[in-house]
Amino acid sequence: MAKTVLVVDDSPTMRQMVAFTLTSAGYQVVEAGNGKEAVGKVNGGAKPDLVVTDLNMPEMDGITLIKEIRKMPALKFTPILMLTTEASDDKKKAGQAAGATGWIVKPFNPEQMMAVIKKVLPG
Amino acid sequence: MSTDLSHFKDAFFEESQEHLTTIEEGLLQLEQRPGDIDLLNRIFRGAHSIKGNSGMFGFTAVSQFTHKMESVLDQLRSSQMVVTVDITDLLLQSLDCLKTLIDCAKTGEPADDAQIARLSAQLEACQGEASTVKQSAEAAPRPSQVQGTHHFTITWVPPRYLFQRGLDPAQFIKELGDLGSVISVTLDAGRLPSFAEFDPEQCYLGWTIEMDTAKDLKVIEAVFDFVREDSTLTIVDMPPPVAESHAAPDGTKPLGEILVETGVVSQSQLNQALSQQKRVGEILVEQKIATPEQISEALKKQTESSAPAKKAETPSIRVDTVKIDRLINLVGELVITQSMLSDLGSRFEMNQLPVLLERVAQLERNTREIQERVMGIRMVPIGNAFSRFPRLVRDLSGKAGKKIHLVLSGEETELDKTVIESIGDPLTHLVRNSADHGLEPPDERVAAGKSEQGTIRLNAFHEGGNICITVEDDGRGLNRDKILAKGIKQGLIADTDKLSDEQIWMLIFKPGFSTAEKVTDVSGRGVGMDVVKRNIEGLGGTVSIKTSSGKGTTFTLKLPLTLAIIEGMTVRVGKDTYIVPLLSILESIQPKREMIKTIIGKGELVNVRGTYLPLMRLYDVFRLEPELSDPTKAILLILETEGERVAVMVDEILGQQQVVIKSMEQNFRKIEGVAGATILGDGTVGFILDVRGLLNIARQGTAKAA
Repeated sequence: MAKTVLVVDDSPTMRQMVAFTLTSAGYQVVEAGNGKEAVGKVNGGAKPDLVVTDLNMPEMDGITLIKEIRKMPALKFTPILMLTTEASDDKKKAGQAAGATGWIVKPFNPEQMMAVIKKVLPG
Repeated sequence: MSTDLSHFKDAFFEESQEHLTTIEEGLLQLEQRPGDIDLLNRIFRGAHSIKGNSGMFGFTAVSQFTHKMESVLDQLRSSQMVVTVDITDLLLQSLDCLKTLIDCAKTGEPADDAQIARLSAQLEACQGEASTVKQSAEAAPRPSQVQGTHHFTITWVPPRYLFQRGLDPAQFIKELGDLGSVISVTLDAGRLPSFAEFDPEQCYLGWTIEMDTAKDLKVIEAVFDFVREDSTLTIVDMPPPVAESHAAPDGTKPLGEILVETGVVSQSQLNQALSQQKRVGEILVEQKIATPEQISEALKKQTESSAPAKKAETPSIRVDTVKIDRLINLVGELVITQSMLSDLGSRFEMNQLPVLLERVAQLERNTREIQERVMGIRMVPIGNAFSRFPRLVRDLSGKAGKKIHLVLSGEETELDKTVIESIGDPLTHLVRNSADHGLEPPDERVAAGKSEQGTIRLNAFHEGGNICITVEDDGRGLNRDKILAKGIKQGLIADTDKLSDEQIWMLIFKPGFSTAEKVTDVSGRGVGMDVVKRNIEGLGGTVSIKTSSGKGTTFTLKLPLTLAIIEGMTVRVGKDTYIVPLLSILESIQPKREMIKTIIGKGELVNVRGTYLPLMRLYDVFRLEPELSDPTKAILLILETEGERVAVMVDEILGQQQVVIKSMEQNFRKIEGVAGATILGDGTVGFILDVRGLLNIARQGTAKAA
């Protein structure tokens, strides 16, 4: 069965691009526009095998979302990748401390993104 | 795998526009509420999204510039800097520059580097010492340039939290396997605690991996990127001694390099020899296989094909999915009605007539509703067109040295997208006009007993089938005498003319008219108001003025909801049907004999309550065979446009209906006096009259008669 990826980003363009890349690679995609929506999707029954999230978002930011996800028994060990524009260590550290698995630095091309995803998502 | 993301570019540009608006509105509000952290966050997010997205499409100029803006915003957000007028100014200027950059990215035109450099420097400078600008360019792991294979021994003790962050040690080993051949994996279980202390969610294990790979150390290290900081990781490269002697065949060095290395020739000698190498084209010409012309032709093609084609902008529109869902529902209903009708048609008997009529009525309801909804798709809130004004007014008040308060209302009023795009400029002119001419300088206001701060109100609302937009100021009002004097001086009117107030106000819409004593940067060049009127009328709308001396002026724009459909009156001349736009009809009369006069040089006139209007027989204009040629038996429609009136004679008024405008120019050619065509209920074509054009014909007719 196709693996499901939850894509969380407030920018529709970014979300569409990530979703498009993932769907082209055979993944199923669930989209959310911010952390709150993402939590809603999961509570509503979405069972992602991987979460890809932006950090800067309205309503609920990425860091809070990561913490929320790690609290959920079903998603305790699910890989979470953050999308960051910065190569800044602060952001990565904050995300990791919250429980993020890794990061994808923007800008990325589809190949780069898929390479990182393959790193954390057992094929 | 290669996935092309370039078709998301349009979405990017559209989204960026929204962010730009958010940033601009935010910055303007920021001056009033400098401490509003939510507002700062919103502005920051807008910039952040543009930065991230633009990088994805390789618009590095955009992302680098936005990064600089973002850094300043970030410091404002974290209170390391305070919002000042200077900073807002700088950010607004930078925003303008960013807009241009994005436009350049869209069209492929070069950007103004000098301006970018200047603003970049200012943005960096204003951050002062507080900033530590980091280069975000993190070198991506480059493919190995070292020839030969490596033999790595990797010892890795991952952090305890490994599992809790969604990581799986098997994935790491698998990834290493993808990079080369893993020779052995040895488990180190030495750190396992006693069973009582064992926490299944922690990772106590370690591994030693031996592998052969063509990749270099950096690539192997990158595998552990996500955990490197908290892991104990040693990677030892022990190249097998034999590797040197037989290098990989594809890694052979160029001959020249070897010769330089072994000291046979020097680097400069080598370079000179290389420069003598001939190009393919030259060789082919020398050997007379190709002519120099053919070669240069081919070279031209080469450069052409590499030059990026300038992309035309395809207009797109964002539609609420709710609107689309409703539409799809309606189409579903339409399909049901249609199948019910065809079912009825296949076995119709006369006694089923009521059923048929009911179904047809249902079909009509469906059609009308679908039509309304489809039109609704093109409807966007006018707030989009209003959003530029806070900035404009801010700039204007600075330049004119006036204090101006802008009040917007009715932003949610929806209007056809094409109309909204076309009213931006006219509205801008009106707002500029109000700021520059309408509102007085502060001292004059105080002297007149008003508050120092002038107010401009922009309002939009529905009125009947129209949209009204008002631009209102509480300034000095139009000066009747001044306009009149100017009009006479410019020869627009004769000093003997008796004009009503409305007619005088309309003078300001004449080309070249300006009463401003001095030409300012903002307005007063006598260009603009006539353009406003022309643009609005081009959209099928009207402009009117209400003014009161010392109290202010209100400009009212009346626009049709949409351009594609108009409310029309169907009239008959002989056997032909014409449509007259309902908006332009003032009244219809059947004149008495004594109302009609023929005046030499002015043609036929009709006296409507004391005013003589030119009378046009529509059958004369279009050379038709009328049923009635006596005006007292026929019907006269009094039409008005731009304050001018004309009486048009037709045989009969048939009724009133909505008509869909089909362009004449696109389907046939332009015809004076005809605005477009439409398909009538019986399937024939009906022409829609162009009142402006008819007036022109009337004027030419009298000119000829004179």
